[in-house]
Amino acid sequence: MSDRPSHARQMVGSLLVAVAIVVVTIVVVTAKFGPTSAAEREAAEERQEERLKLQEDIEKARQDRLEEERRGRD
Amino acid sequence: MEDLVERLARGNVTEVKVMLASIALALAVYQLVLIAVCYGKVRPPFLASRPAGLAHRTSGDAIAVIMVVVAVICLSYFGFEDDATVHVVAATALLVVLAVKVAVLRVFHGASRLLPLLGSSVFVLLAITWVTSAGMYFADN
Repeated sequence: MSDRPSHARQMVGSLLVAVAIVVVTIVVVTAKFGPTSAAEREAAEERQEERLKLQEDIEKARQDRLEEERRGRD
Repeated sequence: MEDLVERLARGNVTEVKVMLASIALALAVYQLVLIAVCYGKVRPPFLASRPAGLAHRTSGDAIAVIMVVVAVICLSYFGFEDDATVHVVAATALLVVLAVKVAVLRVFHGASRLLPLLGSSVFVLLAITWVTSAGMYFADN
């Protein structure tokens, strides 16, 4: 007589291996993605770009104002 | 549909697609092991042919659902991009061959001798589809 587990147990065991493969894949792929979601990263980059653009606009407006003041004095 | 996909993925549509495709590929590799046991090519002492075949069919159903979900995400969000011809052709062929395999399993039992060929084709096409999307994504990042 064979000492193999029953077919039902073998089937459940095979499916548990499949579940383990899914879990390992999720862990590995998530590790590749990194801790922050891509959407959040893109939004942060967009905010950073907007901040830089705003700073540039303020600086340009300041330069224009100074230029106009200098012309007014001349 | 595009908005729904984006909302469900919380803006991470590509990442969700890559994750699901990777799970499908990992399970497909396991499917090869199970079918080798089922056909008696490999005889491990802890797994008989019949339960291996049943597990192959059960996880195959799960893979089929994942593939359809990925296809819906891909078509509704990305569409047919010009620079992804190999991916589009491989993915379309994959879904067609998968549909034929399911039809042979459920309806046309007389053509069951084609199952090994169909199964191998599904695996190869899935691998090509993964390499040309998720594989490229990992290579670029």
